[in-house]
Amino acid sequence: MLRFLAKKLHFLQLLSQNSEDKQESKSRESSQTSLSRDITQNLKVLKDILGPSNDINIREFSFGYEEKVDAAIIFVDGMVEKTTINESIIKPLMYDSHLFTPKESQTITTSIDLIQRSMISVGDVKKVDSFDELVDDCLYGDTVLLIDGSHEALVISTKGWESRGVQEPKTEAVVRGPREGFTETLRTNTTLLRRKIRDPNFIFESMQLGQRTKTSVCLAYIKGIVNPKLVEEVRRRLKRIKTDAILESGYIEEFIEDAPFSPFATVANSEKPDVIAAKLLEGRVAILVDGTPMVLTVPMLFIESFQSAEDYYSRPYYASLIRTLRFIAYTITILAPAVYVALTTYHQESIPTPLLITMAAAREGTPFPAIVEALMMGTIYEILWEAGIRLPRPVGSAISIVGALVIGESAVSAGLIGAPMVIVVALTAITSFVVPAQSDTATMLRFVLTVFASVLGAFGIMIVLLGVLIHLSALRSFGTPYFSPLAPLSPRDLKDVFARVPLWAMFTRPRTIGWHDPQRQEFRLDPHPPPEESEK
Amino acid sequence: MPKRRKILFKLIIFIIFILSIAGCWNRRELDTLAIVFGVGIDKAKKPGNIEITAQVIKPGEMKSPQGGSGGGGEKPYWNLTSSGKTIFSAVREFTHKSNRKLYFPHNEIIIFSEDIAKEGIRKYMDFFIRDPEIRRLVWVLVAKGNASEVLETKAILEKVPARNIAQLIEARAATSQASAVRLQEFLTRLMSKTTAPIASVIEITREKKEKIARLIGTAVFKDDKLVGYLNKSETRGLLWVIGEVKSGIIVVKSPGGNGEVSLEIICASSKIIPEIKDNNIHIRVEITEEGNLGEQTSAEDLTSLPAWTVLERRQSEAIHNEVRRALKKAQELNTDIFAFGEAVHRKYPELWKDIENRWDEYFPNIEVTINVNAKLRRSGMTTKPPKPE
Amino acid sequence: MKLEGGKISSSHLTFLMIGFMIGSSLIFIPGQTAGHDAWLAILAGLAEGLVFAVIYTTLAMRFAGKTLVQFNDIVYGPYLGKAISIAYLWYFFHLASLVLRSFGDFFTAIIFPETPMIVFIVLTALICATAVRNGLEVITRCGLILVVTMSLAVLTTTILLFKDMKLTNFLPVFDIPLKDFIKASHSAATFPFGETVAFLMVICFLENVKFAKSSAIKALIITGLLLVMASVRSIGVLGVTAPIHTYPSFQAVRLINIGNILTRLEIIVVGNLLAMGFLKISVLYYGTVLGTAQLLKLRSYLPLVLPIGAMLVSFSILQFDSVIENIFFTFEIYPYYVIPFQIGLPLLSLIIAIVRGLPKD
Repeated sequence: MLRFLAKKLHFLQLLSQNSEDKQESKSRESSQTSLSRDITQNLKVLKDILGPSNDINIREFSFGYEEKVDAAIIFVDGMVEKTTINESIIKPLMYDSHLFTPKESQTITTSIDLIQRSMISVGDVKKVDSFDELVDDCLYGDTVLLIDGSHEALVISTKGWESRGVQEPKTEAVVRGPREGFTETLRTNTTLLRRKIRDPNFIFESMQLGQRTKTSVCLAYIKGIVNPKLVEEVRRRLKRIKTDAILESGYIEEFIEDAPFSPFATVANSEKPDVIAAKLLEGRVAILVDGTPMVLTVPMLFIESFQSAEDYYSRPYYASLIRTLRFIAYTITILAPAVYVALTTYHQESIPTPLLITMAAAREGTPFPAIVEALMMGTIYEILWEAGIRLPRPVGSAISIVGALVIGESAVSAGLIGAPMVIVVALTAITSFVVPAQSDTATMLRFVLTVFASVLGAFGIMIVLLGVLIHLSALRSFGTPYFSPLAPLSPRDLKDVFARVPLWAMFTRPRTIGWHDPQRQEFRLDPHPPPEESEK
Repeated sequence: MPKRRKILFKLIIFIIFILSIAGCWNRRELDTLAIVFGVGIDKAKKPGNIEITAQVIKPGEMKSPQGGSGGGGEKPYWNLTSSGKTIFSAVREFTHKSNRKLYFPHNEIIIFSEDIAKEGIRKYMDFFIRDPEIRRLVWVLVAKGNASEVLETKAILEKVPARNIAQLIEARAATSQASAVRLQEFLTRLMSKTTAPIASVIEITREKKEKIARLIGTAVFKDDKLVGYLNKSETRGLLWVIGEVKSGIIVVKSPGGNGEVSLEIICASSKIIPEIKDNNIHIRVEITEEGNLGEQTSAEDLTSLPAWTVLERRQSEAIHNEVRRALKKAQELNTDIFAFGEAVHRKYPELWKDIENRWDEYFPNIEVTINVNAKLRRSGMTTKPPKPE
Repeated sequence: MKLEGGKISSSHLTFLMIGFMIGSSLIFIPGQTAGHDAWLAILAGLAEGLVFAVIYTTLAMRFAGKTLVQFNDIVYGPYLGKAISIAYLWYFFHLASLVLRSFGDFFTAIIFPETPMIVFIVLTALICATAVRNGLEVITRCGLILVVTMSLAVLTTTILLFKDMKLTNFLPVFDIPLKDFIKASHSAATFPFGETVAFLMVICFLENVKFAKSSAIKALIITGLLLVMASVRSIGVLGVTAPIHTYPSFQAVRLINIGNILTRLEIIVVGNLLAMGFLKISVLYYGTVLGTAQLLKLRSYLPLVLPIGAMLVSFSILQFDSVIENIFFTFEIYPYYVIPFQIGLPLLSLIIAIVRGLPKD
């Protein structure tokens, strides 16, 4: 049977290869690869390729002083800046061509170079001679200028579309630190990063992914800090992606992950430029995707989820305290319901006596066993959460009233659910927001742990935790052990795990990530008071 | 690869199977437990049998704060009794009377009735140390009278008598005139070849027609049989020697002659030093104590240095007397409640081998020197008594 | 293709060895038969154990990069060598099943009296199998984290029990006949220190084999101290009652009571036991599987993991009928049963290797 499956898989693979080939050949047939000298011919082919879409504008006109030449500009309405087209392309060609006297050997028709060099007053202009390229650029907001008699066309950069401005990101709010966040426009995002790191070694490598969406994807790293092997690996994994659409960086994440079946994410994301810049400076590689503000970074460590940008902006004691708090919160969020279930159904011995009395009193007369209560309340909480996100803003308060009053208060007073369970679920809910990067895994772990706790008590919990530990120790993200610097231990990197040491004491970059250029700063940068001046 | 998947698949099935069959064994919801707070052991009417009383709490009644003062409400506890040849069989008998399973880990006291204790309690002890549900931090008591009656006494400030008694034991440190013995300590003494076990004593007094439990003195066992009691001051004498005195009041005569002075014990420690003199075992007990002047009924100024020294001396004497009395009682009963034997064992392991089995002959005649080093430290908020100069 | 691709660092080896030796010895006090002198017996056992460790590491360094199974062939020739290797694999296998069995006994005796033992044994074996499948690197990484947590837990419980300890419980020092003491200390040397012979399957994957000796000695000393601490804790608290308990450490921690608030903490001991036992079983299991694969000249040990695991489970359940048989075996037979494996054969191998100048390059 398995052999049969394998055969089938192989067949499917072949099939997809075939269809790929067909597609390619089809597109080649329908279009000539290069432009001809005849503008009408060219326009015909272009109309063929672009189809009847009404957002594509083709403006035919003629210009010239002594002899009129036919020309056409093609652009996608809404993606271009009209003023640039009007003021810097059409106007100079139509009005100013008479000022332009070609040298004797040349005429305007043959001198597309001259037009490019002395008539178009736009910064970014290039010559193109293939339809494929021309269409690609046109669909990305550039304007194409075709001139009769030339087998080349000018592609003039006129990109300009409606887009969201740089705003404070909703997901990663901070009290101290920059408020700006990435936008959906790739160029804006690279700008935001470049503004933070003005190093010529800071490199953006771009590529296009997605056969239909042709999404621009940008690989960012700092040469000299990053491990070249890591960049090579990221590049290799990105190039492997042959899919028709990349709509969000999540698409890429799933294609390049190390462990696709692991519940733990091995690719980190953020929408804050300062976070990404800091990660780049530690030797990571960032992947920016056009159309989404979420930027990916690799490799990701487990510990990264517990580090927040603000840790480095506030002073070290407080930062370390908060860091510890996050670990505690994470422990609570994955363990609280499981421990509650295990204690109340197996290890009543371990509950302090007064607490046991209170809990037993709360449980008197409740109809469901603790595990059912736990799973029920857990599910209801997840539903409330999901509903709260998707809800139109004005209805939001309704949900909180229904959630808090109806489900919390009334369920307890009606005797459906014990009050301690509600407290436990509320606690997990609150604590799950403390470590947002792991909240999805925490939810899954919580359910698994609760089920095991209900079956085998503390033993069940420990078995699951051991399993998770084994998994975390085995997991890698782009070659870096996921659970480092804890296991494998690299003592020098512990400076940024449980406590955050002062910035001047962080001499080295994290060893486990790249370790290409270890030293971050000079030694002995700790501030000293100036030597005492003797007052005279 | 597919092979691996097949194995994985089988594994998952296996785990689900294990989980589903494991589900029914040890799970007990809180509302299926009868939480036991106290256990009493009496003789049953049928000879050779014992009767166990278990005090089980009713959580629902425990909680309601409004019902507390109502008075007419039901008792928040339930005393079940059952009898059997052994403790375990009697405990299992409870299932015929209670729909919930008795749950012992939160039990706080074990009370033996006097009759049972006189016959020997080793045979009943085994259950309490073998069963994993019973904790070693349980208090062991002997009831003058019936154990079941003690569990019926009125608890005013607590809701459950057993809890009340446990708290009494914890509070006895204020006087140090009653012993407090946890199961672990009792067991240690029971397992020692020479040291005699002791236990707290609880009795019932009647006040305004209410039965009230009162904790007083010490029950002394020879081997595992109750042989006698120490009264209040003898108990403190014992506690001085074993270093268990936490606090208390020593009342002495005022140096001037009229009136009394109360001295509060702040801290105390002791040392037992065995010595061999003239081929005889000789024990020296060194007690160090610190106290405060707590109250005086006389009118004289006690804060003068001479009076202060006299007070310190009287304090020493009082302690000395208490220890003497305890020692006398113990030697009368021939029970080594002070663990002198162990002390000799530690210091003279070679000699010990000879006398180990004849310790009963040595102990009643053993010579004990008591050195008390008692200090008075502070005099409280005032120095002189309130009277016109 | 190599059977094991991973490399472990010397500090990781130390941690793994500590976890391995602590293993199940946290619940049984090694040298328990010495009564209140058990801590002395452990120290004497440690001295004996250090001799073992030096022999093992010298062997491992002499045959750098070769496991026990591989160098047995060199030392004793292909036939006798294979026979000895099989004997060793049996020993590792048997030891793993013993630990697994102690687990099952502990959980069914104390926490889940009504649940069949097979549930615990199977689940533990499964988790160990997962670790073994993931390879040595993963086991060592888990070891690091688990050992650090365990040490903290032992330290905390000891501190919390400070006020209940009676130092007089240790007096008079050395209160047992010499013969009994030697028996107790030898028992402590074979369990747990001598069991490190299983690391002859692991040391060869060390990044730098030079550090094998120092990290093994470090591990033995730390373990010795931890065990002394645990035994001092148990004896100091339990006194004369210590010998009658099936699980003294568990009983001792049960006595923690700080103001009626910090109490009922025995679940910590259970957690420790599971974590350390997991490490011990994993290492032994790994040694058995890897050795078998090398013996059979397989290209990968993965196919062996589950069959051997199944054998492990069934053997650990079938070998004893009751906890009494297990305890009798552990304290009465085991110290003699292991002599050839722990000291006889390694010493012989070392002598042969030195006399014949092995390995010849």
